[in-house]
Amino acid sequence: MNWWDDALHRATAEVVLVGALAGLIGVQVVLRRLSFFTMALTHATFPGVVAAAIIGVNIYLGGVAAGAIIALGVAALGRRAGQNAAAATGVMIAGGFALGAGLVATQSGFSRDLSSFLVGSILTVSPRDLLVTAVALVVVAAILLAGARPLLHTGFDPAGARAAGFAAGRWDIVLLLTIEVVVVTVVPAVGTILALALVVAPAAAARLWSARLSVITALAVTFGVLSGLGGLYASSRWNVAAGASITLTATAILALSTVLSRVVRGRGPASLGSPAAPA
Amino acid sequence: MGDAALRYAGVSLGYHGTPVLTDVELTLAGGQRLALVGPNGAGKSTLIKSVLGLVPVLGGTATVLGGAPAGARHRTGYVPQTGSLDADFPVTAAQVVMMGRYRRIGWWRPTRAVDRRAVREALDRVGLADRAGTHFGILSGGQRQRVLLARALAAEPELLLLDEPFNGVDAVSQEAVVRVLRELGAAGTALVLSTHDLTVARELADQVCLLNGRQWAIGPPAAALTGDILRRAYGGHAVDVGDGRTVLVEP
Amino acid sequence: MIEPFTVPFLGRALAELALLALVCGPVSVFVFVRRLSFVSDALTHTVFPGVVIGFLAGGVEGIVAGALVAGVVTAVVLTLLTRGGALSDDASTAVVLTAMFSVGVVLVSRRSSYTADLTSFLFGRILTVTPRQLAETAVLAAVILGLLLLGARALIFRAFDPAGAAAAGYRIAGLDLWLNLVVALVVVAAVRAVGTILVVALLIVPAAAARMLTVRLTVMAALGTGLILLAGYGGLLASWTASVEHGISLTSASAVVLLLVLAYLLLLPLGALRRRRRRPAPARRGSPHELVG
Repeated sequence: MNWWDDALHRATAEVVLVGALAGLIGVQVVLRRLSFFTMALTHATFPGVVAAAIIGVNIYLGGVAAGAIIALGVAALGRRAGQNAAAATGVMIAGGFALGAGLVATQSGFSRDLSSFLVGSILTVSPRDLLVTAVALVVVAAILLAGARPLLHTGFDPAGARAAGFAAGRWDIVLLLTIEVVVVTVVPAVGTILALALVVAPAAAARLWSARLSVITALAVTFGVLSGLGGLYASSRWNVAAGASITLTATAILALSTVLSRVVRGRGPASLGSPAAPA
Repeated sequence: MGDAALRYAGVSLGYHGTPVLTDVELTLAGGQRLALVGPNGAGKSTLIKSVLGLVPVLGGTATVLGGAPAGARHRTGYVPQTGSLDADFPVTAAQVVMMGRYRRIGWWRPTRAVDRRAVREALDRVGLADRAGTHFGILSGGQRQRVLLARALAAEPELLLLDEPFNGVDAVSQEAVVRVLRELGAAGTALVLSTHDLTVARELADQVCLLNGRQWAIGPPAAALTGDILRRAYGGHAVDVGDGRTVLVEP
Repeated sequence: MIEPFTVPFLGRALAELALLALVCGPVSVFVFVRRLSFVSDALTHTVFPGVVIGFLAGGVEGIVAGALVAGVVTAVVLTLLTRGGALSDDASTAVVLTAMFSVGVVLVSRRSSYTADLTSFLFGRILTVTPRQLAETAVLAAVILGLLLLGARALIFRAFDPAGAAAAGYRIAGLDLWLNLVVALVVVAAVRAVGTILVVALLIVPAAAARMLTVRLTVMAALGTGLILLAGYGGLLASWTASVEHGISLTSASAVVLLLVLAYLLLLPLGALRRRRRRPAPARRGSPHELVG
């Protein structure tokens, strides 16, 4: 019997890949404050996935198409940060979710599909899902590596980056589309809630330990993989939904990091995210 | 009337227990105008926020209108930098000015004729009576600054704090603001304003407080803003241009 | 056009939506100006464990109490986390959302009918609203509007100018908690009847759409309420017509949301037009999430 024939083995491989992929992109999401955008993407790609399934096209294709529209829309709106941008992202969540759920509900037996959209079904990943995740991991790692400097520069100081000759707007779009690729890859296997949790929590935990991008990235990937493996173990041990237990493991790592990093340093990080910068 | 509007003795200020501004020694009487001068990050905003009780006093004693800073907020007016506000926010100029009356109106009571009159008068004083119903975001930077000044006026404060009131402000607005500030001083209101414009400080202030991480000088403009002191406070950013004048080169 | 609503359950559904319209018009204005879209979305997810525990402990009648507790806990936790400053607002909101929702999933996943529970949580049961539920919603609506009216001035001041509000002596953390609690109460009032999909839309879309037409806050609130009423009526009618006359199962919650979103999209060009007529705004602070020191 092939090692890959065991559902638990496939699930283990999938959480390792997804944990690494989410941790990698999560650093950008946390530093750029794109959590809400990520949440909106998970919901807004939903109708694309459902529509693709109904008309019989590849579901990844449907997700990518719907997500690309949203990512470009946000890039256009993002130029004018403010109330309208926050609200527009919210409208996307509401509209995407309602459209997707409405489409699903026209089909029979939809309860199952809906709940797997939310919390995933990691124990039923196919070898093909694994392959897609692995390819996405390689592609995303390559993009982030190639774009490391411009992404850092545009994220920290858009005006300065533009002055230095980087096309800040173009790099923003590259980043949003990369996040979209991750969301589209990950959501069908692990669900929206887990996708968001694995993107945000490990990177937020890593951020507490260091101010250096390379260290944060390495830690985020490690935390992501650990959350996946730990959650999967807890799930099989206590017979609870795998997606939920992975999410809670990631949250526990973040909570522990918050307490421990404070003990180690005496207090929280001084730079990013500190509300009280003297002026 | 023995109480000074502001009395700081050996005060150090900071966040999370780390001081960002030390050795502040100053006394401001009613009707006096104090200018806080220093480069970006010198601690001007920190000092202003400490008067409002929004930055903890780490050492020394700070007295505002005869009591602890936070206790004097309802007698203090504050004009923030316009750049920190959201231009898209759906409020009219009159609504912004009315905010200055909110503490008097309380939580439940509807606005009364006296509040509406105070708003009208405040807008009139800054020369914007005709823009009462205009969306705040449509106004120019200088007009926004005047609306915020009107908001502080509507609160009828004994002590008025202004954070960089002349940043990005057109000449007409600057003139209107300066005129109102002089009137207020004459009427007995104490003023504290931060600026990095030495000319404004010299023309407007009775006292100048030179800050850069600590207090470098305090006194009348002629005594506090000498080339020698400026060079020491600003380091390499102060340059002599002859005629006994010193100009500052912002990095 | 009126006739379907003479069917009692459809009439009650419309009454429930009308009550929510009364509340959500004004509340969505505050959600809009404080940029609480993500917090609203989070609250709709975090009441889930409360709903589950309430149901396990007290059956159907326990749901509101459970949701209430979970909503209040979320409001407090989110206020504390955003004040703490260790994590950015959006990251902490995301973490609270996913963690609490997962607690709910862990609790239901041990039961066999778990997917059906999730589905009714998403879509609600607008067509089975009972007179008792209507009464509960009415009471909560009165409480919410009272809290909102009482805090309105201070909340607007804080939203427009946090530093100025703090300088005037308002306690920012207290005001933030106040508004978070109001939003949590709306979610509690609405979630059992209309489901999370619709609550999110009711909290975010009305004010965002109304903003394209006006800069007056009170007009925004009134337009928002009117918009919900129209979308509620149209959505219920559409879903009734689709299922009765065409045999298509169109969930009413989805239909109402899609109409709201459609209105928003139709009004978008108007908003862009208004903005074009205006002078360009000067450079603004980089982050929408800056806090007062």
